[in-house]
Amino acid sequence: MKIDIHVHTKKVKSGDAPTRNIDASRFSEIIRSTDVKILAITNHNHFDLNQFEEFESSELDGCLLWPGIELDILQDGKRSHLLVIVNPKNKNDFKKAVDSILNGKNPESFTITLEETVQKFDALDCIYVAHYFVKKPSLSDEDIELLTSLTPNPKRILKEATNSISAGIYISHGHNTVYGSDVHNWDSYIKQSKDLPELRLPVQSFEQFCLLLEKDEATINTLLDRKVKENIELNAFGVAELIRLDIYDDINILFGSKGTGKTELLKALSKHYNLKGHKTKVYKSSNLELEEVFDLKGKSFDGILQDYGIDNCEEEIQFIKEVTEEEVTSLSKYLLHFSREETNRISQKLKIKDITKLDEKQSNRKLAELSGILKKFQTFSDYVNENPRLYDFIEQDLIDDLIDVLDRILSSLISKTENSLIDSKTIVLVNHIVEVFQSEISKKTGIPKKPSKTGFSEYASNRIAIEKAVNKIIDSLNEKIDPQIEYVGNLGEEKGDLYCQTNLAVQDGVISSTDYSPVRKHNKRPLKDFAKGIKSISKYIYTTELFEKIAELNENESIDSIFSLDDLLLFNRHFSLNGNNYEPSTGESSMILLHRELSENKDIYLIDEPEKSLGNDYINDVIVPLLKEKALLGKKVIIATHDANIAVRTLPYNSIYRLHETGRYLTFAGNPFSNKLKCINGEYEDLDWKEISMKTLEGGRNAFGERGKIYGN
Amino acid sequence: MPLEKEGKYMETSKATLKREQNKTSLILHLKDKDYEIILTDDNPNNIKGAFNGLLKELKNGLFQFELNDEKEDLFHNISMEYLTQLNSELKSVFDELKDYNLLKIEKSA
Repeated sequence: MKIDIHVHTKKVKSGDAPTRNIDASRFSEIIRSTDVKILAITNHNHFDLNQFEEFESSELDGCLLWPGIELDILQDGKRSHLLVIVNPKNKNDFKKAVDSILNGKNPESFTITLEETVQKFDALDCIYVAHYFVKKPSLSDEDIELLTSLTPNPKRILKEATNSISAGIYISHGHNTVYGSDVHNWDSYIKQSKDLPELRLPVQSFEQFCLLLEKDEATINTLLDRKVKENIELNAFGVAELIRLDIYDDINILFGSKGTGKTELLKALSKHYNLKGHKTKVYKSSNLELEEVFDLKGKSFDGILQDYGIDNCEEEIQFIKEVTEEEVTSLSKYLLHFSREETNRISQKLKIKDITKLDEKQSNRKLAELSGILKKFQTFSDYVNENPRLYDFIEQDLIDDLIDVLDRILSSLISKTENSLIDSKTIVLVNHIVEVFQSEISKKTGIPKKPSKTGFSEYASNRIAIEKAVNKIIDSLNEKIDPQIEYVGNLGEEKGDLYCQTNLAVQDGVISSTDYSPVRKHNKRPLKDFAKGIKSISKYIYTTELFEKIAELNENESIDSIFSLDDLLLFNRHFSLNGNNYEPSTGESSMILLHRELSENKDIYLIDEPEKSLGNDYINDVIVPLLKEKALLGKKVIIATHDANIAVRTLPYNSIYRLHETGRYLTFAGNPFSNKLKCINGEYEDLDWKEISMKTLEGGRNAFGERGKIYGN
Repeated sequence: MPLEKEGKYMETSKATLKREQNKTSLILHLKDKDYEIILTDDNPNNIKGAFNGLLKELKNGLFQFELNDEKEDLFHNISMEYLTQLNSELKSVFDELKDYNLLKIEKSA
């Protein structure tokens, strides 16, 4: 919710830009595009009631309009500007008052004294906003003193700055400072409005705003009560010190000297919420290491090659480890057979024994391939036939056509598979019969059986199987896995975005980098040797040394624990900045961890000393806005802090203060709006929120916008 | 489409018998190299060495052997039978190489 107490809607004086002129419809359109919910129209020495009412009746998305004027003050020969903003209920009287002081005078040259101003407007329930210091032409301290003496309620006097370093209306901070857009060009107002002061309490009327200026407790409580809060009893320090606290769906600050139990309170809150079914934990940056959060050492990484579309070749590796040489038929068997003359007449007639055995493997391969195809079509056909949901998305005639085609394909495949099966079995039977005849004839005649094959087929098939397996393993070894890059956080405008890069590689016998380590528990060297061994085997497939190479592979010290290429998966993870390896400093790590914690979408944030290792600029520019964003979303943000930037500049709805004094611990609750901290069990007098904050918090004085800071000196 | 060396263009290579005083060998003549299978010595490694060579040659195309030998003795008979069986097995292994896409001629086609 933004407030703009200084808005021009008309070019009145010659120095006013024409771009200050705006009509009702454009005004409405622009205001609805902003978060401005309170706006005071303060033209130079001029008040246009008609325009004000026209604007008031336009659609402004809940934005309150207050009538006002920017007066040229002439006091002791010195000119300055003073805004007078009145209760909108008194707009008609305000119009009369303005008309009476101008009384036909030219706004260009019009001036008025402070005495006359107070005399004319004070009765209309007004606020004075004085141009001050660098906001020219400014009222001097003497002028403000005079104004203070003239008006019965000095709290109605605000000083106008040029901008806000303090980023909010620090009503409680002594200076009652505010600033407005002083709009010169409505084209840039939407952008300009983003820098306007924020009003933390949901003010709904001029009267409420004025009461806030006076820190009226009832008003503040009424406004605070609109915010959802929960009264919680905590047993953080034992039953002897039960604590009952209001926790707002907003920012709640826990502060106090070291050792006063802030962390214990956070832990007790976490326990309380967890018992209610939430999942909370206290974030403490010093407990975490960025390296561990991102698991740079890969302790919990358990990726497998299949995740990256790479076959782990488990079957092939097992085959290579276990394969043995196929024996060939001994030539002596041929010699034995042919060296005996066949004299048995019946045997001579049985030509079946001379049939060369048929190739069984080819028909088996064909049958297996056909069966595989048939199975896949059958599965798809079942899916189509058994899934009525398909009709919700695909036209019925298309599905009918598909079913018809599938039926025909299946019918054809079944027929071919049957034929292939018959062929395969026929070959087996023929070979079997030949074998039986040869054996029986051998028994009857005493002539050793003729060998039925040279053994070349089995010998060659074995080598082909080895080649196939090795080729497949090498293909997988040569696969590359793209690095996985995860956003970590921003290290500021100068450095840019930090990423976490995970590199994975399959040990291909070449990788020697010490940056990589095996994902599984293995020594590096045997993995490298294994890959080299596989590559070596591939060069000896058709040589007599092949099985020596396989034996060498089996001598690898880790052979019993290498089951698949998943065992050869290597891991390397590092942070990178602009494409280069980067090791974030402790401060940068804290920065990123906190940012990540706050970027997580939670209902409850419990944060212990977020400021640790962080610079003020980062807290102000990144963390405080993030905390405010969470508050706007109605999240519970509970922060234990020693840092004034967080405790003050977030303007918390709830400040909980822990005090240790004369051997006892006391708990106070309050807020910046009432500027009070009340002892929750009434055992102690009220404390001044600002004073305690300034005294207790690090950087308190700056955070309260001491003169130099607020005005940018 | 049938491979050039698979069907009617299949090469037929010569096989001969080398008879020496203490040793008789079956010589398988291929284009670039001869392979010797000693029939009078029961040495599996000798046969395996020849088979390795044949297997490598098969990757370049199917071939078969025909015995060129006039003398009808024991070794002739053995060789005739051995080559009949070997030719059948060469065809079977060639088909396997083809099915597994391991032929060099297929890859370069």
